[in-house]
Amino acid sequence: MIKSIKTTLGLATIIILSTMFITACSSQNPPLEKSGAQLWGENCVRCHNAPSPSAFSDNQWETVAMHMKIRANLNSSETAEIVEFLQMAN
Amino acid sequence: MKYITTLLITICVSVYGQDYSDLLKKIESSKPGDSQFLLRGYAHSGYEKRGEESSFVGGSFNPIFLWRQSDKLLFEAELELELEHGETALALEYANMAYELRDNLTVRVGMFLLPFGTFSERLHPRWINRLPSSPLGFGHDPIGPMRDMGIELRGNTKLGSRSLSYSLYSTNGPSLNDGEDHDLSEDEAGMLNYLNFEDNNSNKAIGGRLGIFPLASPALELGFSGQIAEVGNHETEYENTAANLYALDMSYVNNIIFLKGVVDLKGQLNQINVDDESYFSDEDSSSYSFLNQSQASYLQASFRPAYVRNSFVKNLEIVGRYSQIETPEGALWESNQSQYVVGLNYWLDWRTVLKIAYQVNESSAAGGHVEEDEHGDEGGDNAILIHWAFGF
Repeated sequence: MIKSIKTTLGLATIIILSTMFITACSSQNPPLEKSGAQLWGENCVRCHNAPSPSAFSDNQWETVAMHMKIRANLNSSETAEIVEFLQMAN
Repeated sequence: MKYITTLLITICVSVYGQDYSDLLKKIESSKPGDSQFLLRGYAHSGYEKRGEESSFVGGSFNPIFLWRQSDKLLFEAELELELEHGETALALEYANMAYELRDNLTVRVGMFLLPFGTFSERLHPRWINRLPSSPLGFGHDPIGPMRDMGIELRGNTKLGSRSLSYSLYSTNGPSLNDGEDHDLSEDEAGMLNYLNFEDNNSNKAIGGRLGIFPLASPALELGFSGQIAEVGNHETEYENTAANLYALDMSYVNNIIFLKGVVDLKGQLNQINVDDESYFSDEDSSSYSFLNQSQASYLQASFRPAYVRNSFVKNLEIVGRYSQIETPEGALWESNQSQYVVGLNYWLDWRTVLKIAYQVNESSAAGGHVEEDEHGDEGGDNAILIHWAFGF
């Protein structure tokens, strides 16, 4: 069990150091507004393949997006951008 | 001729005018309104060869009911219907109501998937899980909570170009099998039961998850989850027995241009610590105790050459996963197993996949506990798994 605790602490250390390293190396420029298409491409694939805009109707996208907003911890403005893109591309 | 033309125009205007009016009525009646109902879900089926035995399996079906009451209020529920040991089993996976308090803050009440790591909350559906099986310790007999009843606050916040997701919840929490409940297996004394839908004590579990996106894009997510709870049954000697649980998870999904494809890395580590207690063994009428710590983890990598020109190759995906489970030494449910799986997927579309995998199980110590697969079968043998999964 000591081995398990050491493994856990080791993993935690790696994750924390990686976070610090990546954050330090990342650009410090102010955030740019992302388009709905970009947010769709970046966020959906975190868990599953990005859906085709034609997979649901415009009305259905509103419900699907609300469901995913909660599940994926997105904020309202990001979700609105994604819905707008999907409805436009549908 | 002139008269005939005039007559035809008159008839057309009359007929089409009527149609136009009907059409307008139809459009008016089909306006979506504020409430919207949507049935989603997923299904799967397949063939498995475990050791010398083989069988067609699955046929499971998980309908998800979504009721969008308004822009701020959503009800979600999922059922699981599956064949288990020759009978149809029906289970409620979750049922909860979510209300958006602010742009980046939502409250959920009811039974919900717990943000304890990401596998149970986001990755377990068959069409999302890249392999036909769940990692050891993340299936039907998990090391760590998957769902519970309670209340949760969740959302995200921006830190410059980075973002942070958060959730904080209070639930009934797990209950301890103290070996004295005749409905539970005495051999599993010291084990936590996570389906504690009628709380076994007055204490409520407190937990949460912090997800950090250290890059400007959400390609990389690092998560830290924790939960503390008193788990012993009310008015027993175990009443003050506590458990602390934590999980670390990571996800990296990105397009790799020079490989012309998408790389997907996922991992999670669950650690469960329960206060040490003595349990009674009926077999030799003696007490025994052990260091009650359990752990399960997995690491998965997949690659899909989504940007090559060949339409067949671009839908292929290769996957590999290592998982392990370790339960307390000295417990009657002591176990130490590991598993390697390699798989090849073919995506028929973005939510329909055919999966073929070869699974190798290794066990260096097993007392009474053997990790079961999704169908409740002991998963000790090496296996060939062929599944299709379908999301809708």
